Amino acid sequence: MNGLRDKVVLETDGKLMCGRDVAVAVLLGAEEFGFATAPLVAMGCVMMRVCNLDTCPVGVATQNPELRKRFIGKPEHVVNFMKFIAEDLRGYMAQLGFRTVDEMIGHTECLHKKEYPADSPLARIDLTSMLAKEVEEDSYAKKNIFDFKLSQTKDMKLFDDACQNALQLQKPWHVSLEVNNRDRAFGTLLGSRITRTYPHGMPDDRFVIDCHGNGGQSFGAFIPKGLTLNLKGDANDYFGKGLSGGILALKTDDGSQLKADSNIVVGNVALYGATSGEAYINGVAGERFCVRNSGAQAVCEGCGDHGLEYMTGGTVLVLGETGRNFAAGMSGGIAYVYDPSNVLYKRLNAALVQMEYADSKHDQDMIKTMLENHVRRTCSQLAQNLLAHYEEEKDHFKVIIPTGYRDMIRLIKQNEEKGMTADEAQLEAFYTMKEAH
Amino acid sequence: MGKTTGFLEYKRQDNRELPEKERIRNYHEFHQPLSQEERQEQAARCMNCGVPYCQWGKPIGRMVAGCPLNNLVPEFNDALYRSNRKQALERLLLTNNFPEFTSRVCPALCEKACTCGLNDEPVATKDNEYDIIESAFANGEMKPVKITGRSDKNVVVVGSGPSGLACADQLNKRGHHVTVMEKSDRFGGLLMYGIPNMKLEKEVVNRRIDLMEKEGVQFLSSSPIETKAQADALKKKFDAVVLCCGSQKPRSLAVEGIESEGIHFAVDFLTASTMSQLDHCEPAFSAKHAHVVIVGGGDTGNDCVGTCIRQGCTDVVQLEMMPEPPLERRENNPWPEWPLVKKTDYGQKEAIAVFGHDPRIYETSIAQIYSEKGRITAVDIVKVKMVRSEDGRMTMQQVEGTIEHLPCDLLLIAAGFLGCSDTVVKAFSLKTVRGNAEADNFHIEGNLFTAGDMHRGQSLVVHAIAEGRKCAEEVDRYLTKY
Repeated sequence: MNGLRDKVVLETDGKLMCGRDVAVAVLLGAEEFGFATAPLVAMGCVMMRVCNLDTCPVGVATQNPELRKRFIGKPEHVVNFMKFIAEDLRGYMAQLGFRTVDEMIGHTECLHKKEYPADSPLARIDLTSMLAKEVEEDSYAKKNIFDFKLSQTKDMKLFDDACQNALQLQKPWHVSLEVNNRDRAFGTLLGSRITRTYPHGMPDDRFVIDCHGNGGQSFGAFIPKGLTLNLKGDANDYFGKGLSGGILALKTDDGSQLKADSNIVVGNVALYGATSGEAYINGVAGERFCVRNSGAQAVCEGCGDHGLEYMTGGTVLVLGETGRNFAAGMSGGIAYVYDPSNVLYKRLNAALVQMEYADSKHDQDMIKTMLENHVRRTCSQLAQNLLAHYEEEKDHFKVIIPTGYRDMIRLIKQNEEKGMTADEAQLEAFYTMKEAH
Repeated sequence: MGKTTGFLEYKRQDNRELPEKERIRNYHEFHQPLSQEERQEQAARCMNCGVPYCQWGKPIGRMVAGCPLNNLVPEFNDALYRSNRKQALERLLLTNNFPEFTSRVCPALCEKACTCGLNDEPVATKDNEYDIIESAFANGEMKPVKITGRSDKNVVVVGSGPSGLACADQLNKRGHHVTVMEKSDRFGGLLMYGIPNMKLEKEVVNRRIDLMEKEGVQFLSSSPIETKAQADALKKKFDAVVLCCGSQKPRSLAVEGIESEGIHFAVDFLTASTMSQLDHCEPAFSAKHAHVVIVGGGDTGNDCVGTCIRQGCTDVVQLEMMPEPPLERRENNPWPEWPLVKKTDYGQKEAIAVFGHDPRIYETSIAQIYSEKGRITAVDIVKVKMVRSEDGRMTMQQVEGTIEHLPCDLLLIAAGFLGCSDTVVKAFSLKTVRGNAEADNFHIEGNLFTAGDMHRGQSLVVHAIAEGRKCAEEVDRYLTKY
């Protein structure tokens, strides 16, 4: 065969309902098993197929509090079900003479095709290749596990005594180092240490790393609140992926002859799926900037095609031209764009969003704060100029907000003013919107 | 699909009943249909389930859950909700030959398995069905269907009960020439004489027979098949013979004095009552001014209670051997299983209204019959309990010291049936299994087929129709060879 079998773990799913199903799957080579329907039924699902309608009559798939009262499932029901599956499987294993699931994997010789009369269409099904046994038997047992060489990453080298000490005593800690584009996901392991020690994060800028060079893929991915990465240079794709509270600041190298606001300094899909935190990019971002962002604040000086795609939350300030299809599928969050030559309307995908002048006080305050932060973090020349001539420039900012999101925010605010708690206000707004549609 | 939130917005509303004391003055049906708006709301309660147990019709344990005819319940409910009555009727008639019967007498297996009934009251499917078919009749939409493409095959169906009629209807619509033979003077079998008029007006049965006649089915009344010669002649004359003779042998009681006058089987009593109403004469025997004891707590027993009250009985008790069932489902009897719960039917409700108490006495049987000059005067009733005997079988045992004496002028036995009548078995030389005609997928042998209670044993009208339809399919395959 192709020598790949020991490099993968095969999972199977699809109507696994009883021990026999699992036994057949194991014999065909599966090593892990996905169950969905049967455990759902064990906790009360009656297969109404209305999960999309918010009318689940047994309270499984619904937001309606009245219907959720009907939910009678307990974790024990699912545990019980899985016990029965295991017990059932053991019966088949005993009959076949296997002691463990591992030793049973891939024994297709235990499976036989059912006999059908010659005129039945089922008789024509040829299972030979499915039941063929061409994989080395021990290739299931021994797994050739890929070595990610995590111990040799730059992150691990950061964990010196000073770092440990700072982490333990919650003391500010600051280092400088060189990075290059082989350092993938720089900062992520350190971030995970911080999160594990302080699940609720630390004050901003408690731990600061100044980097110099070319950031590799996923630079600063998932970093938590309290960690700040300042990068002088540029970065590859996935910059700040899944940003979870940390702060990223990227500025062009001091020696660079390129003009920051007209050159791409960070690769595609920067801040993909970010949930919180801040990012300041002193330069133009690549394509799909902030795709699926749900809560982070970001500033950049221009972006490529499909910017802010599927964004559901957060605030983004773009100080330069955007690419095509801007804000496609954007259902939440707010974007401010500096658009002095009035070209944004041509680039915007207006299916879900609405473009207006950012002339409200709230918008102006927000833009100003973000500009100031941008200057503070990256010394951006462009941002400095805009602040210097703010009164002339302020009319060139546009605000882009999804219409549904705007209505929702308004309703929640109204409800909160009526004295509801945040949860109640949101739920009430949800039903008001639902009624309206 | 229907209104997605209908089940949350509307409560179940059954067809209203006339007050008990009013309706017992005659033998007419006593349900009053809802208005069109109300009906639409009831249809809107249907949830159009992804897995509609209402139309499933498969056994869970020993009891069937959902409609044995696989009626397309969510479809016709939806059409009704959208006021598309034409479509509702079409979808209803697709699986059910006689909705006007089932919507009156069926215990509504669909509703017991309805998902809406899991946490709330089930959808009023039976009443919805009634509405669809009755408005179709009222609006003249139930016109005879012109059968095109007649075959050259002749089929005779012996017995005109629900299975016989369903089988005949199916075969006729398939193009075969069908003759239905009935031993009684009127057609319908148990639909005519077994079910009292207040549950199923006899006009409704006749209306269907007329329709089928206009569609080309030949009906012969008062034509019993009693001898081997008659049976052989039938088998020779027709390309196929379908026996739908029911499960007519009633279970009796093993008590001394059972042959006394004033002791009758329930079906005989109900037959005499209905016959007298139709012929406008006094019944052969009646419950008028009588102390009535009914043995059997099932639907037939209840029909007897209702009939006795209408005939003017002095009092009535209904004896049931089994313990009183719970009012709610037991934990080991969950939805969508058939619920083994106490149901107080129309007759019992009437008895409560007239006599002030439930006529049913549970875990009780007859211990002794007293008679004078060959006529029953009183009975002793006794508590019984189920005991596991040494060979592991459950048997009924009387509990000592629990005997009670009751005056009794009329003892009605509604204790079920044992199988098909000996006359038919003999005439057609049938083999029987537990009293029912033995057949391989409805096929007895040669050109002889069987369906209905005769084949599966005493059961519901809806099962009989399902049997008749499936048997018709087999007969058709036998006749056409494809």
